[in-house]
Amino acid sequence: MLEELPVPAALDALVDELNDADRQERIELLIDMAKGLPPLPERLAHFKDEAHRVPECMSPVFLFVELRAGQVALYADAPIEAPTVRGFVALLVEGLDGATVEEVLLVPHDLADRAGIREIVGMQRAAGLPGILRRLKAMVTRASISQPADAETERVSP
Amino acid sequence: MADDTYVHPEVLVSTAWVQEHLKDPKVRIVESDEDLLLYPDKHIPGAVMIDWQGDLQDQLVRDYINAEKFAQICERAGITPDTTVVFYGDKANWWACYAFWAFTMFGHKDCRIMNGGRKLWEAEGRPMVRDVPQYPATNYTVGASDPSQIRAFRDDILAHVKAGRPLIDVRSTAEYTGEKLHMEDYPQEGALRGGHIPTAQSVPWSRAANDDGTFKSVKELRALYEQECGLKPHDDVVAYCRIGERSSHTWFVLKYLLGFPKVRNYDGSWTEWGNLVRAPIAKGPEPGSLAS
Repeated sequence: MLEELPVPAALDALVDELNDADRQERIELLIDMAKGLPPLPERLAHFKDEAHRVPECMSPVFLFVELRAGQVALYADAPIEAPTVRGFVALLVEGLDGATVEEVLLVPHDLADRAGIREIVGMQRAAGLPGILRRLKAMVTRASISQPADAETERVSP
Repeated sequence: MADDTYVHPEVLVSTAWVQEHLKDPKVRIVESDEDLLLYPDKHIPGAVMIDWQGDLQDQLVRDYINAEKFAQICERAGITPDTTVVFYGDKANWWACYAFWAFTMFGHKDCRIMNGGRKLWEAEGRPMVRDVPQYPATNYTVGASDPSQIRAFRDDILAHVKAGRPLIDVRSTAEYTGEKLHMEDYPQEGALRGGHIPTAQSVPWSRAANDDGTFKSVKELRALYEQECGLKPHDDVVAYCRIGERSSHTWFVLKYLLGFPKVRNYDGSWTEWGNLVRAPIAKGPEPGSLAS
């Protein structure tokens, strides 16, 4: 589906899996992904504040981005009672963890469509999802500007 | 009328009542949610899902489905005109109230809300299942109803404001003042202008709900709408929000819990009014007037 873009293989595989599934299977996959979102590491759980909240989203979604040796490490939290949003966040976390900055920035904004999420939940309900991706890209951009040297240093350190 | 009970307490059922009636053939439990993945994950045993968007709204015209389609939805869900339909859902029952309102528009007589919704049911550790039930199809004949008693259109609103009747804006403060054009999660449900309908008072819907999703007590609701807002017992009231879902919650509170004789929901709400050419708008924290 995304073969023309340098999308990380992990994200590509997840999008394909969602797309190949029929409606019922896709619903179950999304529910499972939402449930499988790993909890925030202890060191980040204390920082669920406005600075890490996605302001575009009415549900309290928190994103954390770290750069290690040029690779994006992604952590997130979203309410269990908002499985659509949480499932989409889980897709990003699972699909983009370890990606390069460039790969994250090239993820298409209609990812929710491509993954068939909009087909399940409808246009109105899917409308907020691109905002999460936009926010993630902004955070990754900021991290790459503020820490390019660190990333290089870390790459060579053991 | 007792001071400590809702005016029409029968429209509200508790989670315990629902659990006792899980196998009652005269009762159908209906889940209506903001998030469509909640029901497929788990729900109250025997509950069916009716979606405000996919089921109750017409997919072409911005309106509700017709009576024939409504009958089909009921028939599919095993609902007869005599069935007690109990609605519950996420978000403190916004969509449950919306579905209740839509069912009432179609003349279904016995509608109830499960106080506390999905959140309270889950918090109390009551049973939930993944199985989607199948009920034998029924024959549903849509009864007589007068939607104009509970639904207001834009022209009604202008007449209502000119007549000096009360209007309640149930959106968040930032939406009311015009600082924000839409709830940020819903960019496609925005409006070109920010603010509120002149003379509307701001009472965010959530002020009628407790943290556990249940409704506030009658005493608290009276203090809010009668003392603070100045509504009189015989007032003809209209509530609106952005697309009519949060205002269904307030509509339910005013009509059934406080017993106002005529309460209408303006489902066009801000997504219509804030886009309407030459519609008067007030900005800022004051209700404002038509002249301003």
